[in-house]
Amino acid sequence: MRIKDIESRMQNKFPDSPLKGDDTGVTGAKWSISVPISGIRDAAMEFDAAGFFLESITALDFQDTFELVYHFNCYEPGSRVTVRMLCGHDQVPPTICDIFRSAGWLEREVHEFFGIKFSGNEDLRPLLLPEDADYHPLRKTFGRVGAYHKREVIYG
Amino acid sequence: MEKKVREPGAPPVQFALLDDILNLARANSLWPMTFGLACCAIEMMAAGASRFDLDRLGAGVFRPSPRQSDVMIVAGTIAKKMAPAIQMLWDQMPDPKWCIAMGNCAISGGPFQYEEQYAIVPGAHLIVPVDIVIPGCPPRPEALIQGLLALEDKITRGEGRNVLRRFKRVSGGVN
Amino acid sequence: MDELEKIEADDRVYSLNLGPQHPSTHGVLRILLDLDGEYIVKCDPVIGYGHRGHEKMGENRQYKQFLPNTSRMDYLSGLLYNHGFVLAVEKLAGIKVPERAKYIRVIASELNRISSHLLWFGTYLLDIGGITPFLYAFDDREHILDTLDTITGSRLTYSYCRFGGVTRDIDSKFIDMTRAFLKRMESRWADYEALVSKNVIFIHRTRDVGVIDVNLARQYGVTGPNLRACGVAFDVRRSEPYEVYDRFDFEIPTGTRGDALDRYDVRFREMQQSCRIIEQALEQLPEGEFLTPKVPQKLSPPKGEVYTAFESARGLTAYYLVSDGSPAPYRCHIRVPSFGNLNVLNDVLPGTMVADAIAILGSIDVVIPEIDR
Repeated sequence: MRIKDIESRMQNKFPDSPLKGDDTGVTGAKWSISVPISGIRDAAMEFDAAGFFLESITALDFQDTFELVYHFNCYEPGSRVTVRMLCGHDQVPPTICDIFRSAGWLEREVHEFFGIKFSGNEDLRPLLLPEDADYHPLRKTFGRVGAYHKREVIYG
Repeated sequence: MEKKVREPGAPPVQFALLDDILNLARANSLWPMTFGLACCAIEMMAAGASRFDLDRLGAGVFRPSPRQSDVMIVAGTIAKKMAPAIQMLWDQMPDPKWCIAMGNCAISGGPFQYEEQYAIVPGAHLIVPVDIVIPGCPPRPEALIQGLLALEDKITRGEGRNVLRRFKRVSGGVN
Repeated sequence: MDELEKIEADDRVYSLNLGPQHPSTHGVLRILLDLDGEYIVKCDPVIGYGHRGHEKMGENRQYKQFLPNTSRMDYLSGLLYNHGFVLAVEKLAGIKVPERAKYIRVIASELNRISSHLLWFGTYLLDIGGITPFLYAFDDREHILDTLDTITGSRLTYSYCRFGGVTRDIDSKFIDMTRAFLKRMESRWADYEALVSKNVIFIHRTRDVGVIDVNLARQYGVTGPNLRACGVAFDVRRSEPYEVYDRFDFEIPTGTRGDALDRYDVRFREMQQSCRIIEQALEQLPEGEFLTPKVPQKLSPPKGEVYTAFESARGLTAYYLVSDGSPAPYRCHIRVPSFGNLNVLNDVLPGTMVADAIAILGSIDVVIPEIDR
């Protein structure tokens, strides 16, 4: 079972970050873990070594911070795992595009939509927006500001 | 050109403007450009395929190159990134040429047009001159056929003048 | 002298711009190719020509108002996307779905999956030079569209599912039409096999072309038939069964080589498996409600997030919704399968010939507005 394997690996790697299990199945993931910005590359390498693939990278825009959400999965039933990473509005997280090749495009997408730069990713041209786009449409400050919360409003 | 069938005793030769005859030929051999943007393109393909068979109208010769086509069917949402390409394609088409805006997106942005929309051009008329609009999301192939018939009427300047018209409209007309 | 040789070597490589308007790119894909003679040296897909801002729209409107958007992302399997979105919202808001509605959704979804694969079947062969299968496939596809038309009222962009069920119950007419379609297809599979699968030109054109191995597929997050062609039996319907998929007996077709022919083969057999699922679902179809009454029009799910994966015609698709307790989601992200499936071209195309590029691009079956969202 790869999920057991990665569970012990992650606990060894990040003893301070507890694994948050999900029994309800609503989040779609077996468990989630919050890693610091400096730890995302280590985490990705562990997932790569354990034979997982990167399902998606997305970001959430809060008043106080960005949160990057990585979903990893492997080809065994019910093995999805969420890795979350808080990233301040002015912080630059490291890229994982040399570990997972699909991350290159996913990071380009996050960069154009949210304006988050990834250090080490050479190719951060806009992917879906026109080449000369200088706006970040999925920021909550773009256009009419609807709901724009602090992180604790949703995640407590 | 008024009479469609020669009456007994009438002279076998009729006179018409060369332009009218050319327009008749143009109207009944429209070559659309193979060019889909989104969902409507699938209905455009369906209109060209087995059941609806656009070839009946002479409009089934989909050309991959703008140089060989004379009607552009804008089928789908025009993203801001795509708009310059559409303009270039239009400029590459030889005259005389016509444009059909197929589907709500190509008419006005359709379901994707709202106050803060940043990604699309709301309407093909903003970048190319549109002759016929076909509403629907997406329009059914029958609607595209009706649109093409309307375009044929427009080219020949009237339903009554299109002597090759194979379908009668139930009521009304564009004369 | 060395410098001159270097310049000459550079001169040999020239760029080819494929798309965004190209009949074989299935919509508005643009690929920048660096060519050395007929061989591709480097490939850089440029996407975004169909970007409509679905994710921003999702944040701007209520859950129910986003329903029509879902089927316009991947318009070939619109019902599956529609289905997936209601699954996500139902999970988030804790809405119960009647048994009958689950079966109806499965039947409609599988019909839509077949129609999507049939369209791919027709256009793929059109891309590599066969016009007849296109006309055959569209003929069969029209039967599915007619059948779905009777219950959904739409041919392509369905908004059939509702939170807690479906809009309209299926009647005997729908069931009869579906049964007739299944019966018709029994003989059609043999026709297709004789016409295409055993066609020697087709086999030569696709065998060992565009090989994706398991590790490459994992690196790029390739899912769906493209992954199964590499020999991995990964299907969300089996690995995380949603609705009632765990009650049906069906196989997951897999390939061995991971080339274009295997991808063709997997999709072809998948259509037959979908027929099996529909048959069983029609037999097991229970009586009862088709829509949970009293689901509020203006849903305000509790705070939290949901990530729901489902198997669309192209692979693992997922909705990631974050709710702040208001009637509109705080974040609406869609994980689309074609994204990874197209991304893999960066590594697959170099070293192949331009004519093969078209055969490979067709075989991975991408829908561009789905990638661009």
